[in-house]
Amino acid sequence: MITPLLLAALALVLTGPAPALLARSSWPYRIPRAAVALWQAIALAAVLAALGAGLALSYSTAGEPGEPRFDPSSARDLAAAAVLALTALVAVRLVWAVGRVAVGTRARRKRHRDLVDVLATPDGLIPGLRVLAEETPLAYCLPAMRGSRVVVSVGALDCLDDGELRAVLAHEQAHLRARHDLVLEAFTALHHAFPRWVRSDVALDQARTLVELLADDDARRRNGPLPLARALVALAGSPAPEAALAAAKSSTVLRVQRLADPEPNHPVLASATYATAALLLVVPTLTVAAPILKALANAVT
Amino acid sequence: MEQLWAADGALTVREVHERLAGTRDLAYTTVMTVLDRLAKKKLTERERDGKAWRYKAAAPREEMAADLMRDALDRAGDRREALVRFVGQVSDEEAALLRDALARLEAREG
Repeated sequence: MITPLLLAALALVLTGPAPALLARSSWPYRIPRAAVALWQAIALAAVLAALGAGLALSYSTAGEPGEPRFDPSSARDLAAAAVLALTALVAVRLVWAVGRVAVGTRARRKRHRDLVDVLATPDGLIPGLRVLAEETPLAYCLPAMRGSRVVVSVGALDCLDDGELRAVLAHEQAHLRARHDLVLEAFTALHHAFPRWVRSDVALDQARTLVELLADDDARRRNGPLPLARALVALAGSPAPEAALAAAKSSTVLRVQRLADPEPNHPVLASATYATAALLLVVPTLTVAAPILKALANAVT
Repeated sequence: MEQLWAADGALTVREVHERLAGTRDLAYTTVMTVLDRLAKKKLTERERDGKAWRYKAAAPREEMAADLMRDALDRAGDRREALVRFVGQVSDEEAALLRDALARLEAREG
């Protein structure tokens, strides 16, 4: 009976206090790559622990693993079956959310790329660059397996010099090369998989910020921090064309302040973070797998 | 696409080819392939006219551009995940912090 309780506790800690604490800390911003890994491990471990708790609970109520005897007249067995069904429901919801987000995002992205291709002009500066005849300063990328695009508006070109433009393009190419969109997609799916009253935006928001920092670091290594910081200030400080734009809080201040400091290098902190991430994944997996493995071993001997 | 936007009604492949011939040297089959592809992407609409297809733009240029910008500027809804923006707009308060940080960096870099 102790295993399901432990796993449930772990799942609760990993969905509530742990993300809240991590999001309030500033050290993850010093090691964005390890921090992304840690967030991924937390999310995955929370899911594993929750599913594992359900599995283990239905086991321990239904009797010893390895000797399944289902008795429909026993309340214990019915409860075990209900828990198992609920666990399966959660798993199905997750898979459904992953599929829906993947299909939806790709469809919207493809439609947008088709529009870009008829409305914008190709530019040979980097592969896939398209220049859009719009006054609003804009720069973004459209990730894809093949035929990804970097879109820059004329308004953005007007407020950037050559070095700043190169920094922006290096940042976007870093996103495309590392497929940061896939990282975000996973967190979006997780976000959508749970009902509104249990989910929080913390993990998804943090993932968004961290991949921006990763792309910033890449661009900084190529062109130095100054052009990138200038480009960020130039594009972020331009007047917003729509009221909706200025509403959301942004990670821009954090990004520029970070560029103003020397490039972070914290090998120990990064290693410790990676180790924690690995541990988070191993513990719930072993806890769930151990009784099954033991039962299997017993069945063989 | 420009030719379709500029035209009053729907055009056949031959008409588009003729209009393009003045500025660009394109094969008839190339024009045909491009128009066919645009129709599959639902950027153009086409109707049968005897043996040929007549193509017209699915929407005026301005409408498509507005559609694109809605996608590009959307910060909340489902569209947000489709593309990764370089940077969003910030409030005045944040803009001041940005300028401070930039000044610090410029001082350091000399």
